[in-house]
Amino acid sequence: MKERILAAYDPFVLPFVFGITFVIGYCLLALFKVLVQLSPADRRKFALSLITPSAILKNLRDLFCDCLLHVKLWKRNKVLGYMHSSIAFGWFMIIVIGHIETVLYIPERLHKLYYPIFFRFFMEEQKQTLQGSFFFFLMDFFLLIILSGITLAIIKRFRSRIVGMRRTTKLTLTDLIGLYSLWAIFPLRWIAEGFTAGVAGGSFMTIPINWILHNFMSKPENITVAWWAYSLALGTFMTVLPFTRYMHIPAEILLIPMRNAGLPVRHTRKGFTLAMLYSCPSCGVCIDACPMGVQKKNVQDATVYMVRNLKRRNQQRSLEIAEKCLMCGKCASLCQVQMDACGIRLAYRTAQEKKNNRLPADFSYLNAIAPQQVGEEKVLYYAGCMSSLTPVISRSVQQVLQAAGVPFELMDRDGSICCGRPLLLAGRRDEAQQLIEKNRQLIEKSGAQILLVSCAICYRIFKEQYELIGVEVVHYTEYFNRLIAAGRLSLKNSHETLVYHDPCDLGRGCGIYDAPRQALAAVGQLVPALKEREESVCCGGSVGSLTLRYEDREPITRGSIENLTANNPEQIVTACPLCLKTFGRFAPVPVRDFAEMLVLNLETNKNDTK
Amino acid sequence: MSENVVVIGGGPAGIEASRRLRDLGYTPILIEKEPVLGGHLARWDRLFPDGVEAHTVLDPMLQDLDGIKYFTDTTISSINRLKDTWVVKLSNGLSAQVRAILLSTGFDLFKAEKKEEYGYGIYERVITNAELEDWFKAGAAPQFDGVHTIGFVHCVGSRDEKAGNRQCSKVCCVTAVKQACEFKEKYPEVTVYCFYMDLRMFGRKFEDLYLKAQKEHGVRFVRGRVSEVSEDIDGHLFVKAEDTLFGKPLKIKMDMLVLMCGMAPADGTSELARMVSIPVGEDGFLVPASIVGAPCVAPRDGIFFAGTSTGPKTIPETLGEASAAALAIDRYLKTPARR
Repeated sequence: MKERILAAYDPFVLPFVFGITFVIGYCLLALFKVLVQLSPADRRKFALSLITPSAILKNLRDLFCDCLLHVKLWKRNKVLGYMHSSIAFGWFMIIVIGHIETVLYIPERLHKLYYPIFFRFFMEEQKQTLQGSFFFFLMDFFLLIILSGITLAIIKRFRSRIVGMRRTTKLTLTDLIGLYSLWAIFPLRWIAEGFTAGVAGGSFMTIPINWILHNFMSKPENITVAWWAYSLALGTFMTVLPFTRYMHIPAEILLIPMRNAGLPVRHTRKGFTLAMLYSCPSCGVCIDACPMGVQKKNVQDATVYMVRNLKRRNQQRSLEIAEKCLMCGKCASLCQVQMDACGIRLAYRTAQEKKNNRLPADFSYLNAIAPQQVGEEKVLYYAGCMSSLTPVISRSVQQVLQAAGVPFELMDRDGSICCGRPLLLAGRRDEAQQLIEKNRQLIEKSGAQILLVSCAICYRIFKEQYELIGVEVVHYTEYFNRLIAAGRLSLKNSHETLVYHDPCDLGRGCGIYDAPRQALAAVGQLVPALKEREESVCCGGSVGSLTLRYEDREPITRGSIENLTANNPEQIVTACPLCLKTFGRFAPVPVRDFAEMLVLNLETNKNDTK
Repeated sequence: MSENVVVIGGGPAGIEASRRLRDLGYTPILIEKEPVLGGHLARWDRLFPDGVEAHTVLDPMLQDLDGIKYFTDTTISSINRLKDTWVVKLSNGLSAQVRAILLSTGFDLFKAEKKEEYGYGIYERVITNAELEDWFKAGAAPQFDGVHTIGFVHCVGSRDEKAGNRQCSKVCCVTAVKQACEFKEKYPEVTVYCFYMDLRMFGRKFEDLYLKAQKEHGVRFVRGRVSEVSEDIDGHLFVKAEDTLFGKPLKIKMDMLVLMCGMAPADGTSELARMVSIPVGEDGFLVPASIVGAPCVAPRDGIFFAGTSTGPKTIPETLGEASAAALAIDRYLKTPARR
């Protein structure tokens, strides 16, 4: 193996060199911007995580699994997983092997950016060696892998249903340029390497091309044209890359360590948020995920379009989308780059709220409320506003506690103070903080060790924002499941078929999926919903949306009920008062609360709740 | 033989229209899904504003059904258009071919369970306006011991978008005032509250009744919606509301709470509308060709409306509209066919 072109240069490399220089420059600038925009505390936290050995290991593993292998995508959709990892990992390997070859054969050329990429053009194979054939084979093998991925990508673009996507993102012009140039790169590389395979050598992919068109290909002027085309495709792709969805390729390398460092979303488009915006691959998984998608007009409110509007600084549309969202978090839980879609929307609402000129809220009534003292088992039950509006829940919870012989005190006996989550979701953080503060005092002064909560919405804010010292916050599904496991509740199994609806704030919000199912399995026969757990569909009643009208919520509710009743359950069971109320309006079968379901099947209980 | 006309719904509107059609020389075929004619009127004890007994209005109508073919316990299986006629198949196997159909399908009382915060179906002492009428009619006192304080909650399922009913049900304000007065007449020592958002005393003598309730009976009117109801261990109710005139929250212990359920579109209205291809409004009620100029006429040949199938109405309005519908049908049937 020796150099064929002694100058180690040909003008065709220029488009590539321009492209790669541009994209690296742009990314460095963007990196600088993101780091500067971080708050000093966040920056310190991030820097610290970059030198912590355990964090480094986790970062490396995540980078490898997420960026190259797309493990998360594989788990969700094998075809899409293959498509992405074949292109990403294949391309990565081609670059790596190109560099290895350069190091092995012409180490002095390594400083030239383009040399490992266009290695075949500059080289000449004098005699076949095992080592050379091995590299030729590897290169062709990964080229084949990439080409198979590209083929899938082309099929997906025109028939997204084949790969299991109902709707896919509407691309912008620059996205299309990026897309077509990306598609072009590898077939062009194949042809270009085919041209030089006669002199530079090749393997099972490139040599046959050379054989087929030998006469045409042996002419040097034709060779240059093919390499020019290859270089142009690369150059175009890299030049448009920062302005397309392909920006996620470099951005994710930054996002993963930032996310692992535990940085919060603090701004609508600066710092960590900016890194997220850059990382959105516009794949459109969030479009199918969004429960509002049952109405076609709401497709434009999916997270991918929010990201696009934020990037374009379209304030009005961004605000509309941020305020309309149900905050169910399904798009975020399915997102391949774990975009904190709700966090960004919340940041937007909070920023907007600062501009709203509201009358100050009057919280003077809070002073009059005194703490309740709890008994020996130290259980304080907080029913919350929603549970008071659905008396069946607070009553059932108390009946279950009595049946299990758990002494408890009702925290909101003298009137309930809101947990603060609705205010928080409306962007009114300061007002929410006042309620949080008062509730925290009431809880800590009560002497309780366990705070029992029957509302998924309250539960989430107690978990996330309260920082209660010495008090365990327990959702009633968990607590009752514990009581059942401890044999303190005797239940009979009615053998009715039940479907359990995962409330957004309980499931995706707090990760509680199994406790309610385990408990319900004791009183009936659980049947699965079409989509459940992380993919559960919001009931449509969410307090998360600030602008969605009732007539637009109804189709969401009906869609969610359709999802739940796919296997014809006799009853729907949920563990959130808001879901209960919302489903109750339209469900074809009875909708029951989790606690009510237990009460109905208490062995000792002779009185029906109704 | 005189021409048949199908009347669907045997409440006051359907009965009255059938009588008028018979007087005009037609043979009405009156279909009622319940076992008896009379609709909600048959259940009611007394009527506002003067407290006349409901049966004094209904009985003369029911005694005057000669020449009307009526079927109770009967529903509509299908309706099909055949040239300029409608073929109506009934659940009892009969069918009729007519040129005109009157939809007097009425309303359903709003299902109070939907407003769970008021505790209907959960707390024993929460009842509906219709159940209170049942008591009045039976002449029986409320079965609870020691009733000292009761409350009426206005607008249950009316003007309430969350409950899926945006419309005002029109009659509940005055019904609540009437029922409050009746209650005070029977039990003067009981304290009666009415929780309202505003009182729509639109009809003649309604305002007088409202003044009488305040002056003579001392009914306490509280402007503010009830937010929630809870129950103590003895089954007494605690009603939370806000008095928006005083601007302060209230919590009142009560022995009984009456929910003034509003009018919701009758079950099956949309199904019937689909059979004859006419639109249903956003509120679920049927939509006339012109709500002002032709309230009894559907935007489809040979279909007519009377009564609360097109929205909440009082009894006199319903009876008036039934007569108007009969005349509209008569004019339609006498006009040479337009195709």
